[in-house]
Amino acid sequence: MSEKRTSAEMGLPASMRLYSETTVALVIFVLLAALPVLVSGYSIYILPQYLLYGMLAMSLGILWGFTGILSFGQAAFFALGAYAMGLAAKWGVTGNPAYVGLLASLVVGAGLAAVVGYFLFSVGVRDVYFVLVTLALSIMVEQITVSQSQITGGYNGMFVPRFSLSFGVGPELDLSSDAAIYYVVLPVVAAVYFLLRWLLKCPIGKVLVGIRENEDRVISLGFNTSLFKTAAFALSGAIACLAGALYGAHANFVSPSLAGVLFSTQVVVWVAIGGRESLLGALFGAVGVSALSNYLTAVIPEYWQLVLGILFVVVIIGFKGGIAGAIGRVFGGEAGDGGRD
Amino acid sequence: MTELLRTEGLTKRFRGLVANDNVDFTLDSGAVRCVIGPNGAGKTTFISMISGHLMPTAGRLWFKGREITALSVARRAKMGIARKFQTPSVFDRLTVDDNLELAALGKPVSAGERRANIEEVLEITRLHDLRRIVASALSHGQRQWLEVGMLLANRAELLLLDEPTAGMTAEETSATGELIRMLADSRNLSIIIIEHDISFIRGLKAPVTVLHLGRVLVNGSFEEVAENEHVRNVYLGHE
Repeated sequence: MSEKRTSAEMGLPASMRLYSETTVALVIFVLLAALPVLVSGYSIYILPQYLLYGMLAMSLGILWGFTGILSFGQAAFFALGAYAMGLAAKWGVTGNPAYVGLLASLVVGAGLAAVVGYFLFSVGVRDVYFVLVTLALSIMVEQITVSQSQITGGYNGMFVPRFSLSFGVGPELDLSSDAAIYYVVLPVVAAVYFLLRWLLKCPIGKVLVGIRENEDRVISLGFNTSLFKTAAFALSGAIACLAGALYGAHANFVSPSLAGVLFSTQVVVWVAIGGRESLLGALFGAVGVSALSNYLTAVIPEYWQLVLGILFVVVIIGFKGGIAGAIGRVFGGEAGDGGRD
Repeated sequence: MTELLRTEGLTKRFRGLVANDNVDFTLDSGAVRCVIGPNGAGKTTFISMISGHLMPTAGRLWFKGREITALSVARRAKMGIARKFQTPSVFDRLTVDDNLELAALGKPVSAGERRANIEEVLEITRLHDLRRIVASALSHGQRQWLEVGMLLANRAELLLLDEPTAGMTAEETSATGELIRMLADSRNLSIIIIEHDISFIRGLKAPVTVLHLGRVLVNGSFEEVAENEHVRNVYLGHE
């Protein structure tokens, strides 16, 4: 806290602190946009997956880091999105199945989260009890995708085609090349990032941060917090589901384990390491940890999970704000400042 | 003066314990009332039933002529009932400005009006120079004032102040007395105050309600109450 006070006393204007994380994000997104020009091959294939993990991590970041609601069910939404995409293609829906799948993923994600959230929050389910329900949600989705094998393919999983973008007129844009889908995923992830940043500066974002800080106070100021929490969960569910839809198309495949508790836990780890009170931290926590896991699997296949486990423990004990929080402290409280722009 | 708040037969039982017993109470708009009584008299329980944090076992409440007995905390706050808690309940990690901003968002007003109101509250609560400081860095007294400021930014009409001077220096306490008088006189706010500090209550020159064992023992001016034999016995522990 004292660091924050110092930066405030030095008269650092709020607008400067506001721009710094946005500036960093812009620079990173521009660099990422230029990347396919410089490199090709595996990196360009795998990066969109990591970025979609990052989008999933942001869906948890807005919920856990900014509203104070921890969810172990983000993977359930992610997998549902991928299945929505696969089923849209499998059932040969009219129009461009990709658009139907993407739209369906938003509706399913927001709808499921809104229904679950409303019933839980309006009866006052909080904290660890909410965590347990979301954990159950992950297990349920995983079990359902296993048991409904005539629809989902069960354990064998399901093929999800890479889609094409149609614009009504002119030729379709085929996304089967890695660079093409890279340039679809990157702007979507960037757009979600900036949308969430903007939202946090709006009144609703301030109320969400207030709920994280002191929910009873927010209630006593006249806010129906269960509605705000439901809205946050619905938004989070929609983003996770959309990320999953794109992921399914990118990977060409979805299987029940994508909904599982193990993957849900991984999302929590990414966000904790990256920094839950910074969207950029969550996004690149996911990208960084995924890339690191991928590298370690190749180098030290026996120990990589141990290395990640130790990293997780160190961050939890030593850097409560994750990497973004630590960077923020060094630079006087810009990143990971809890949306207090 | 019009009646703002009325309670009839307000009763709260916690299992065997009767915290409030058949409390009838009225408050006019623009009025200040001190609620005093020894520890365990049921003062905080009484305020909690007005704010909606506790539901009465029996009895009813009206605010601005509308029955509010069954309404939630948030609904009552929307109607204009705002509470300052015994330990200041603010947003510790947010700046003074953001604390007030969030409080102001509780009522639907335009952004310009909201800003103007916050500026005014910053002046009134003497927090203007501290507006960019996080609330946790404020002194205890300043936090108390910040919480009162939040109720003002929230455009409350009835302020429930639970021990507003706890932890304050003598100087801060007297300034708080002036603040409360000003809010009632020039902003026409109604205020119910729970306090232990007798000299503070005397200074307010406001009517006093004495609670004892959950019941209203006596209503009256500070002087009347101070002269009352029952009250003296209660405070001296003879009863």
